[in-house]
Amino acid sequence: MKSNWLEKNTFHYSEFNNLNRLVEEKQRKNLKISLCLPTLNEEKTIAKEILIMKSELMTRYPLLDEIVVIDSGSTDKTRDIASAFGADVYEAAEILPHLETFKGKGENLWKALYIAQGDIIVYLDTDIKNIHHRFAYGLLGPLLLFDHIKYVKAFYDRPISIGKSKIRPTGGGRVTELVIRPLFSLFFPELTQILQPLSGEYAGVRELFEKIPFPIGYGVETSIILDIYEKWGLDVIAQVDLDKRIHRNQDTRALGKMAFAILQTFIRRKRKLGLVDFKEDLFDEMIQYNLVKNQYMPDIYKIEGHERPPIIEVPEYREKFKR
Amino acid sequence: MDDHLDKLHGFVDTITSMKETIITNIVLIGQIPAPTFKEKKRIGVFMERLAEFQVDECTTDGYRNPIGIIKGTSEKKPPIFVVAHLDTIFSKDIDHYYTIKENSITGAGIMDNSVGVGVLLSLPEILRKLNLRFESDIVLAGVIQSLGKGNLRGIRHLLKTWATPIRGAVCIEATELGRLSYYTDGMIRCEVECNISSDNGWEHKFKPNAILILNEVINQILKLRLPQRPRSRVIIGKTSGGFKHGVIAYNATLGFEIQSNSDKMVKSIFNNIKDVVEGIGHEHEVDLKLKTLSNIHAARLNFAHPLVKSTVAVMKKLDLVPISEPSESELSIFLARKIPAVTLGITRGENYHQKNATVEIEPISKGIAQIIGVLMAIDSGGCDEEQLA
Repeated sequence: MKSNWLEKNTFHYSEFNNLNRLVEEKQRKNLKISLCLPTLNEEKTIAKEILIMKSELMTRYPLLDEIVVIDSGSTDKTRDIASAFGADVYEAAEILPHLETFKGKGENLWKALYIAQGDIIVYLDTDIKNIHHRFAYGLLGPLLLFDHIKYVKAFYDRPISIGKSKIRPTGGGRVTELVIRPLFSLFFPELTQILQPLSGEYAGVRELFEKIPFPIGYGVETSIILDIYEKWGLDVIAQVDLDKRIHRNQDTRALGKMAFAILQTFIRRKRKLGLVDFKEDLFDEMIQYNLVKNQYMPDIYKIEGHERPPIIEVPEYREKFKR
Repeated sequence: MDDHLDKLHGFVDTITSMKETIITNIVLIGQIPAPTFKEKKRIGVFMERLAEFQVDECTTDGYRNPIGIIKGTSEKKPPIFVVAHLDTIFSKDIDHYYTIKENSITGAGIMDNSVGVGVLLSLPEILRKLNLRFESDIVLAGVIQSLGKGNLRGIRHLLKTWATPIRGAVCIEATELGRLSYYTDGMIRCEVECNISSDNGWEHKFKPNAILILNEVINQILKLRLPQRPRSRVIIGKTSGGFKHGVIAYNATLGFEIQSNSDKMVKSIFNNIKDVVEGIGHEHEVDLKLKTLSNIHAARLNFAHPLVKSTVAVMKKLDLVPISEPSESELSIFLARKIPAVTLGITRGENYHQKNATVEIEPISKGIAQIIGVLMAIDSGGCDEEQLA
């Protein structure tokens, strides 16, 4: 791997904390920016996220033009709270309702492209306990200040001191370190420079997002990276250190399902690119076991790996955005 | 004065329209742990936010109390202080991340005193939005080392070293809206520590129990005859000690406060308790120590003081019923220095001093309008001539 991408395209959010400059760039380039928040039962954290973003990046500094919540059918008060704090709230199932309905984060992100008006879309997860407006402006900085950058990915915890002798772990989660990093190392060594490919916070320009497919579930982060890398190369991607991110910890079983979906997405991409071939189709069930009354009982979870096509292929989208 | 009062309801509406910014300040500052003596990180964020809100001056004093100054139109009028203490009772290991719902904010320290500090940070923007200018400089001070063993060191230092006279002050506490504190009791906060040697020597054959020793101290304190005039009391507030259920406790601690509206009586009760502690320590042959953690002197404004009268008028105009109680906060230090001051609450809440403390969002606007009303009353000169007794 001969690339200095890591040094060139890695930033710290504090490099972009001159918000007046970001606003000036946005206005000079005549851009609209949308913040999209995919939700499912996030009543404990959603209000804080909307409130801080609205106060800091809409009222005080007009960086964001809208905050859009796309909900997967929460059974708690997520939608009511989000509306009460001024976000535009939509149920995913009600967007493009003639299409087959799926449920998942990727589905919400894809449908957000139809709802949101922005030329730049910022996606943030909504389970972040220490949410701060740096999560949005840190991602927007490289997109606004460097014309060649089209997609920006978050990473956390100041993982590596580049150029110094002191080295620390990259702070990637278990699935990153046990699944993604080995896969990238095996097949796309250049992509290992993306320190936390599964982080749920990223931003990009509409022209990219609209031209790539979106898996509806957990595989969406991996898929976006692979597709952007494949179509436009690594240089359009940047990563930004957003310092610390505090969120709910998922248990190992949930991470197992996540890993399954990611592997599924990864293998499909490889197949599509003609890089690998299998004699048989993959199975689509994740099988885990529980010990129930001294008997091992299978717990089968179907992960079909549905995928939405590039949204630019949807006629309603083309009509709405004059594509 | 009536002109000011008539504007208050309009202020509430404008402040409500700034809800996001005010809550953001409360959350961003409150989520940073700041146990007493370890407020450094919170000081940094406080300064950062004040600078962002473009106060005219932003600095720290020699004791690291962060201060923002909104310059007044007159160079001759002394400044008016608005203060909120930065420190909390929670250690940094406690989860400080807040949960916001439609009308509430929940989390450690929200009532003591994240709302107060967040409002303090929001005042520059609120005053700008209300298009208000004052003759006096408005000094916004987030004071450190207030609680417990901090013994109000931050505010003591700030006022001791402040070079010019001070026109008046408003101390902000998160709760309760309607609170009007304008007097402070004399108080000594103490700790009794009982330590029993864990050696196995013959002299410890019949080892005493530290918890039972402190129990005896409590019994003796309860036997003290306290006068109804001057109003006096001893509050037994805290105990800790021992290792496990089946082992005699080698150490134990008792925390209490002596409060009275007479400093002389506080001192007298303290001396009585000192005798009790020495006597029990001697008779039981244990190491029993009485330590003074902090103390404040009794001081007050009269109810007829213009600042109190003006504050009552502001509160009534906002349909608030003033409830008065003594305060042992920063107020005491202002009053001790003969600076007219009141302590006011911003909103309503529950689970005070617990990790799930919760405040209501909706009353905050009224709580802030009240503070601004009082600042305007002080600035109009109504409190200038009156000296404290």
